[in-house]
Amino acid sequence: MMAYYLGIDIGSRTSKGVVTGDGRLLACHVLPSGVNYRAAAEKLREALLGKIGLSVSDIAATVATGQGAGNVPFPNEPVTDIRCCARGINGVFPAARTIIDVQAQSSQVIRLNGSGLVTGFVVSEKCAAGSGRFMEVIANVLQVELKDIGPLSLKSKNPVAFSTGCAVFGESEAVSRVAEGSAVEDILAGVHQALADKISALVDRVGMETDCALSGGGGLDTGLIRAVEAKLGVRMLVPPQPQIITALGAAIMAEETRGGH
Amino acid sequence: MKAEPLYFAGIDLGSTMTKVVIIDAGERLLSRVESHTGAEHRRLANRVMEEALALVGLSFSEIAYVVATGYGRINVPFADRQITELTCHARGVASLFPGVRTALDIGGQDAKGLKLKDGKLVDFVMNDKCAAGTGRFLEVIARTLGLELAELGSLSLKSANPVSISNTCTVFAQQEVTTRLSDGVPLEDIVAGLHQAIASRAVGMLRQLKIEPEVVFTGGVAKNSGVVKAVRENLGGEVLVPDDPLISGALGAALLGQDILQKAQAKGETVIRQERRLTEATFFQQT
Repeated sequence: MMAYYLGIDIGSRTSKGVVTGDGRLLACHVLPSGVNYRAAAEKLREALLGKIGLSVSDIAATVATGQGAGNVPFPNEPVTDIRCCARGINGVFPAARTIIDVQAQSSQVIRLNGSGLVTGFVVSEKCAAGSGRFMEVIANVLQVELKDIGPLSLKSKNPVAFSTGCAVFGESEAVSRVAEGSAVEDILAGVHQALADKISALVDRVGMETDCALSGGGGLDTGLIRAVEAKLGVRMLVPPQPQIITALGAAIMAEETRGGH
Repeated sequence: MKAEPLYFAGIDLGSTMTKVVIIDAGERLLSRVESHTGAEHRRLANRVMEEALALVGLSFSEIAYVVATGYGRINVPFADRQITELTCHARGVASLFPGVRTALDIGGQDAKGLKLKDGKLVDFVMNDKCAAGTGRFLEVIARTLGLELAELGSLSLKSANPVSISNTCTVFAQQEVTTRLSDGVPLEDIVAGLHQAIASRAVGMLRQLKIEPEVVFTGGVAKNSGVVKAVRENLGGEVLVPDDPLISGALGAALLGQDILQKAQAKGETVIRQERRLTEATFFQQT
């Protein structure tokens, strides 16, 4: 009988779940975390099992990670999101040695070896300006939907330079630029450059070795990817579903701790 | 020869509030006006100046010298001189509290620490990079809580158990506050916690200078009695707040105008001022 493994990543904004079996990704699901992490975890497991017609007893092991890992109400092994993210990227891009993980409320840069083990990392979680939240604040001012940000930003020919590294002051600056007649795409591209600057400063602290991968919800934003590539001068490996990488890593780790017997 | 009475004006165009004061040669405050800065600085500077003149029945030509300060000081077309807000604040604070050696000023969009010696600015520290620890922090969160800035102080003084706000970043703290509210924490405890947060940030910055008591606290945020209390607790010492903490920069500007004129007269020079009129200029005007 085939064994199945569950990886659950309860993030500040969205929760992600992955089921693997025989080292293959069988199902994944994303939903908003809301205010009740327990309920989010329950719903996530239910949705995943429903997708592939399994019951709870078919799951051999579960690894939970992310900010809300402690709230997952069913049996699981907790593992840090740094380790899960590294393992997930290693599963998709074995040559990756540096990961830039851009989440809703934090960014982290992780160094890893060929076995997917973490050799160093640095986290930025004190300031909204280094995370997806900065973009969210500005997109709200500009009334642009999150999914339109990347394509719009790529059209910009004159990115607006932001003089501040603060999301709150950046919001006022965006309002001023709108009043002066700057184009929406130029403002968005300016935010991407500001984010790339912050990320680059993080990379400098931990050092960069190629290949370089980008994961997290930030990996869905093509404007951000191009800005980071331009700033660091390297091409980014971006998985097709960058936001589920940490959950995938969690499932792989569940399989590795239980598997082989 | 009978000397004509001399009047001096100081205008402080801050990021959030614009302040104008008019003083006489005896350093008496005759007129003060405050107004929200808004986007059209130059037009506004003109209007606020006119209001201040009207209050004491003076005409603009009777003002001997006008000094502009604050981050919008270059947008005051009728000023005789522009002087940085650090210099003006130091001058204003030293006049209000002779002998002061350490001053904290928290404005709408920045926070400054000043070290003074014999009334002169000798060192300073400043945060205008991050909204935390500035008036902006309170403004953003008051909006989230549906409160007016003016009611924060008295509300927070009712708190017996200030909640600890763990996030420094204004954006994250805003979210933390929402969570706390839904947890059922009383509003006054949240507001008191916010005051402790801004005080701890501002005093942390001030500690980069060697603090010599007593500390004078000015700027719009010093109007908030809850922040004053939190700053006092954080410093563990007395904090002096002028009756009108908002205008210390504008007052300093007016006093510096007087200093400039007196210095010139002592040397027997006549101060030749550029021709100036209270004409309206707009922010968008290209010259």
